[in-house]
Amino acid sequence: MRRIFIFFTSLLLILSGTIDQVQAQDTLLIPLKIKVGLEASGPAIYVSDKNILNTEGYIAADLNEKVAGVIGAGYLSYKYSQYNYEYLNKGIFVKAGADFNLLKPEKSLGKYWAGIGLRYGISVFNSEIPSFKHENAWGTRISSVENMRDWGHFIEVSPGVRAEIFRNISIGWTVNIRKLLFLGTGKDLRPVYFPGYGNGSKSFSTGLSYFLVWNIPFKKIKVITKPEVPEESDDTLEPSTNQQTIGSNQ
Amino acid sequence: MFSLSCTPETCYEDTEAYLKASFYPDGTEVIHAPDSVTIYGLNLESDKFYNKVKQIQTVYLPLDASRDTCKYIIRINGVTDTLELIYSRYPHLVSKECGYTYYYNINADPIHTFNAIKGIYISNSNITTIDEENIHIFY
Repeated sequence: MRRIFIFFTSLLLILSGTIDQVQAQDTLLIPLKIKVGLEASGPAIYVSDKNILNTEGYIAADLNEKVAGVIGAGYLSYKYSQYNYEYLNKGIFVKAGADFNLLKPEKSLGKYWAGIGLRYGISVFNSEIPSFKHENAWGTRISSVENMRDWGHFIEVSPGVRAEIFRNISIGWTVNIRKLLFLGTGKDLRPVYFPGYGNGSKSFSTGLSYFLVWNIPFKKIKVITKPEVPEESDDTLEPSTNQQTIGSNQ
Repeated sequence: MFSLSCTPETCYEDTEAYLKASFYPDGTEVIHAPDSVTIYGLNLESDKFYNKVKQIQTVYLPLDASRDTCKYIIRINGVTDTLELIYSRYPHLVSKECGYTYYYNINADPIHTFNAIKGIYISNSNITTIDEENIHIFY
C-alpha cells in the first residue's frame, strides 16, 4: 500500500512538472495580412523632373509571422539627354519573391517589419536613341538608332524597415541592390536605364524605395514566443530521481 | 524606385575606338619601332596623327565613322605608302556618363602600296576601346 502511495505521489509530481511546462509557454496572436503597397518617391520625383516617371506597386500575403510572398509590377518612362546623346526608354516590369521579417514576433506584433526582401524581376521595354554625336579627327557624325523592343531580367535584395503608423496603414523604405542577369539587347546597345533595374550599362544597380502600404488582416495565428526549455527538463528529472531514491530505501 | 546619384556625371572611360597597329620588321615576329613614323588621314595632312615620331612601336589611328572605308598616308623611315581600311561600324554604349561611340569590324584585307610596307596581317578584326592590337605592319 505504501509503495502504491509513493508511486502515485511521484507520478503526480511528474505530471505537475509537465503541466507547469505547458503553462510557461508564452503565446501571441499575430495577425496575418494582405498588403498592398505603392512606391511613393517615383511620382514625387516626376513632379520636379518630367523626364522620369517611375511607378511601382506590389501585393504581399503573409505566409506566417516571418515570411510573406510578394508580387509587384511597375511602369517606367525615361528620357535622358546630355551634350553628346539623347535616350528614351518606356516599359514595364514584374517582380516576384518574398519578404523575410527578422524581428521576433513579440517585437513585430504584426505591425513592424525590419528585414530583407528577395526578388526576381523581368522587364520588357522599348528604347530609342534619337541622336548621338561622334567626333574625331575625321569629322563629326550625328546619327540615331530607331525604336528597339527588348527585355532583361535581374535579381534584387532589399533590406529595409516598415511600421504601421495608423490602423492598417504602414510606411517604410528599402535599399535596393540589383544584379543584372541578362539583357536581350546584346552588349553594344545596352539600355542606359530600363524599368525595374536602373542603369543598364552596369552589372549592379542600387536605389531607394519608399512605400505606402495598406494592410488587410485576414487571419490570426498563435505564435509561441517562449518555448520553455532547460530548467523544465531539470524539473522532470527531479521527481524520477526522488522516486528511485525512495524506492532504493525500501 | 528611386535611384540616387549624388555625383556629377563625368565620363572617365575611353570613348574612341582606335585601330591599333604595330610595326614588325619584314620576316620577323618581333615588334620593333621604325626610326621615324608619320601618319595622317587622306586629306587631313594639316592634322597629322603622328609627325616624324621616333621609336614608336604601336600607333593608334582613328577611323572615319561616316564611311565604311578610310585611307591613311604612312611614312616609315621617310618612305611613303597608302593604307586603305575597309570596315563595318556599329554604335556601342560606353556608359551612361560617356554616351555612345562607334565600334568597327575589319571586313577585308587592307589595301596598301608596297614601298616601305611589305605586308599587313590582321590579328584582331574587331576594333573597340579595348587596348588590343588589330594589325601588324611589316616594313
